[in-house]
Amino acid sequence: MTETTLTHAIDMSAIGGVGTAKQLADETIRIKTRGLNLYYGEKQALDDISIVIPQNRVTAFIGPSGCGKSTLLRCFNRMNDLVDGVRIDGDVLLDDEEIYQKSVNIANLRQRVGMVFQKPNPFPKSIYENVAYGLRLQGIKNRRVLDEAVETALKGAALWDEVKDRLHENALGMSGGQQQRLVIARAIAIEPEVLLLDEPASALDPISTLKIEELINELKNSYTIVIVTHNMQQAARVSDYTAFMYMGKMIEFSDTRTLFTNPAKKQTEDYITGRYG
Amino acid sequence: MLTSQKFRLFKDQSFRAIVTMGGNFVIVAILLIFLYLMYVVAPMFESAEAESVATYSVAGSGKTLALAMEEQNEIAMRFTDTAEAVFFSTTTGELVNSFPLALPPKASISSFHMAGTNSSVAAYATDHGQVLLASHQYKVTYPNDKRLITPFIDYPLGQAALQIDPKQQAIVQFTFKLGEEGHSFIARTADGRLILTRFSLEGSALDEDEAELVASTVDLPLPGINIDFILMDEDQRVLYLASHDGEMVQYDISDQDAVSIQQRTHIVKGDRKLKKLTWLTGTISLLVVDSEGVISQWFPVRDEGNHPIPTFIREFDSRGDVTAIAVENARKGFAVVTQQGQLEIFHTTANQQVLEIDADITKPERLVFSPRSNALLLESENGQLHFWTVTNEYPEVSWSSLWGKVWYESYQEPEYIWQSSSSSNDFEPKMSLVPISFGTIKAAFYAMLFAVPLAVLGAMFTAYFMAPKMRRIVKPSIETMEALPTVILGFLAGLWLAPLIEENLPGIFSLLFIMPIAVLFAGWSWTRLPSSVRHRVPDGWEAMLLLPLVVFVLYASLGLSPVLEAQFFGGDMRSWLTNEAGISFDQRNSMVVGIAMGFAVIPTIFSIAEDAIYSVPRSLTHSSLALGATPWQTMWRVVLLTASPGIFSAIMIGFGRAVGETMIVLMATGNTPIMDFNIFEGMRTLSANIAVEVPESEVGSTHYRVLFLAALVLFSFTFFFNTIAELVRQRLRRKYSSL
Repeated sequence: MTETTLTHAIDMSAIGGVGTAKQLADETIRIKTRGLNLYYGEKQALDDISIVIPQNRVTAFIGPSGCGKSTLLRCFNRMNDLVDGVRIDGDVLLDDEEIYQKSVNIANLRQRVGMVFQKPNPFPKSIYENVAYGLRLQGIKNRRVLDEAVETALKGAALWDEVKDRLHENALGMSGGQQQRLVIARAIAIEPEVLLLDEPASALDPISTLKIEELINELKNSYTIVIVTHNMQQAARVSDYTAFMYMGKMIEFSDTRTLFTNPAKKQTEDYITGRYG
Repeated sequence: MLTSQKFRLFKDQSFRAIVTMGGNFVIVAILLIFLYLMYVVAPMFESAEAESVATYSVAGSGKTLALAMEEQNEIAMRFTDTAEAVFFSTTTGELVNSFPLALPPKASISSFHMAGTNSSVAAYATDHGQVLLASHQYKVTYPNDKRLITPFIDYPLGQAALQIDPKQQAIVQFTFKLGEEGHSFIARTADGRLILTRFSLEGSALDEDEAELVASTVDLPLPGINIDFILMDEDQRVLYLASHDGEMVQYDISDQDAVSIQQRTHIVKGDRKLKKLTWLTGTISLLVVDSEGVISQWFPVRDEGNHPIPTFIREFDSRGDVTAIAVENARKGFAVVTQQGQLEIFHTTANQQVLEIDADITKPERLVFSPRSNALLLESENGQLHFWTVTNEYPEVSWSSLWGKVWYESYQEPEYIWQSSSSSNDFEPKMSLVPISFGTIKAAFYAMLFAVPLAVLGAMFTAYFMAPKMRRIVKPSIETMEALPTVILGFLAGLWLAPLIEENLPGIFSLLFIMPIAVLFAGWSWTRLPSSVRHRVPDGWEAMLLLPLVVFVLYASLGLSPVLEAQFFGGDMRSWLTNEAGISFDQRNSMVVGIAMGFAVIPTIFSIAEDAIYSVPRSLTHSSLALGATPWQTMWRVVLLTASPGIFSAIMIGFGRAVGETMIVLMATGNTPIMDFNIFEGMRTLSANIAVEVPESEVGSTHYRVLFLAALVLFSFTFFFNTIAELVRQRLRRKYSSL
């Protein structure tokens, strides 16, 4: 694992996971953007982005730092609203519903579109309470329901066996990799439709990264996953579709195998072969 | 390269040394303060000492009737049964001077009385019903810069004997008191009458020389007991007669023409005998010595019908056969000697024995304190005089007098009272630290009641919801409030806020309800407004809209005040509170202090709490929001939890400040040391008490040292709260420390 992360050469056998190229036309589309522009004050961060996110697939956004891939990801659950002076035009549709309408309840939207951040950030609470947090927000108090959901989520995040004996210990005592899986468990405990992963493994050691990647592979059976990553090998390993972004523009978007083996654009090729970024 | 390395190391080490030194200096400074306070306080808890200075035979002739000393303890004197005043040196017993007293011719001495501890007047009564008063006096001169005390005899009511009994019967036993307006004599005559003769000053009130003593005598009803003790109080209003059997009869003699027996009381336990009965300084309390050597203190306590009933207060066990008792001057202490030669000194208010030593005196018969209570003169049966010095500076202080309920003279029941001084010399100092400690807590409590919700909620809003631009204005402005001198706050509170609150009580109270409701209602209606209106106000600036509302509600409430007052409180809420609700009301009350001191601690709490909330990592709030939490849910469940150590220490630091705050409580409370949690009454705090009383206390006196003890208590208070705060904060921090 360490070697592959250190080299820019792409191991083709790992691309796309299943080995066969997918066709976007065959997929059910979960999220769709049309002509999405985003401005931080005067500065334009996203420029006319149109993309579709297929259901039960892993879609990766790659690109150099500051290209807008995280910003795009945050458009899907309106986390950009928290940033001062953000202005958005264009459409973002979740199941054909415009999410930037005034009538949309943001809390509900975020329950449907979960998110995991780069740095593991468990709450200063017990492991159990961390996972149950989202459910408690919804007013669920029934102990049995909570117990069950916590167990399911921790198993789903491949963490159950490691923590089942210390559920009520403070989550801050866990290792970084465990914390990140806990955060994923916390996100999937409320059963979102879409899971947004913002560089979920960049702060982790290789072993933990491997575990997270394995987890992503399993999770895609139940969730639609969008992952932002700096690490092209990771994108190649875990994703079905990959979008390459550069300077706020969507340069190329296709199935992962095609993008890595036969990029349509010169810029994409330069990036994946390591000429910049 | 090497030198720069060395220099870097040197810099590092020297800075470490400087910082360590600074920290240690702080600790040393605090320790020094603590030690100094201890140093001033400690002498109060040292035990008293007594030392025998000299023993000698009685100077002069005749048998001693009474002993006395002058203030410097250089010269003592005795009145003898040969009608002589014999002055002698206290240390050697050498005769200084001797004055024969001018008794009327052909009369012989039938009895003698010395008027208690504070007076130097003695009186000889004759077998013709007359009394001659003589007082021992001293003139101090400084020839050759050396103090020279010259004794002389003065006759306060003239050299001629006064006729007490118009029937000219021999006076068997008597007592008297001299007063500004008149003098009273109670006498038992040989023919078995009990008479009260009162000399009143009549004539010109302006010119004393023209005033004339007019005597009038009445027969008092007989008590029906053997009269062994006759005691009259300083004010010449109460008379006690008692027998050796322990029966005591109380007379009201304030009106000479309507003297009545008020009470009969048995003042010794079981069938013990009454051995001695004497006044404690101030002639309010009686000291009752029984045959078992138990000395009990009694004073009149008023019952439901407002009748003064002599009541048992407390007792002291001398564990011996008491042969003489002496009371201290200007203090509520007394000394006894026992048949076995044991010398014991007690203090009544402090309820303690301050000294017990074996004086090794055979059969002591007479005991007297010097005017400053720092020496004792004893006479034993064999005519030996013993001069003792006594070091007993702080007998008033004991654990029970500082922290317990004490039954003070003239009080209905034991109470916690702070009253350190009064105009009278015989005053019983009341130095309970309980009411002022209570006042400190009370003031801090009301201040926190006002400050904590405002400061913490304000901090939550500022840190979490407010637009950054607005926050940059709001936070420094509130922090600037901290620089406001508290004397100005106290001044405003006492002279502007207190009358304002008093005049607009109903308005102030309606404000407490209307303001939160109005603000909440405004918030709710804001969310109901069409979004086109709402979006005109940038995010986080909505609070600005509340400003006019707050001003309006404030104005309206105060404007509504007279209307409410007329409608519900009969036009005056203050008197309504007092008369209808039975709540006493001071203009400078806890509410004023709560608001003013709350105002002073808000910046502290706000600033620290705001920092704590603001420094909660954004990643935590973001991940909470990303899980579908509303901002409020995130606030309550994540932000407050993570910021809790900081908020807690903010509150505790605010509390510490409120406890130690002086100027505001000094100026806005009225400084009444009462124990009542009523919000409409004032209080006196430890800090204000020290500020008020230190300038007027004599350095080194008990009062002065008790004030230092109060400072030590205050110091311990803040030390205690800060330590607790720090411990809890560290615990919370371990638990909730975030990423």
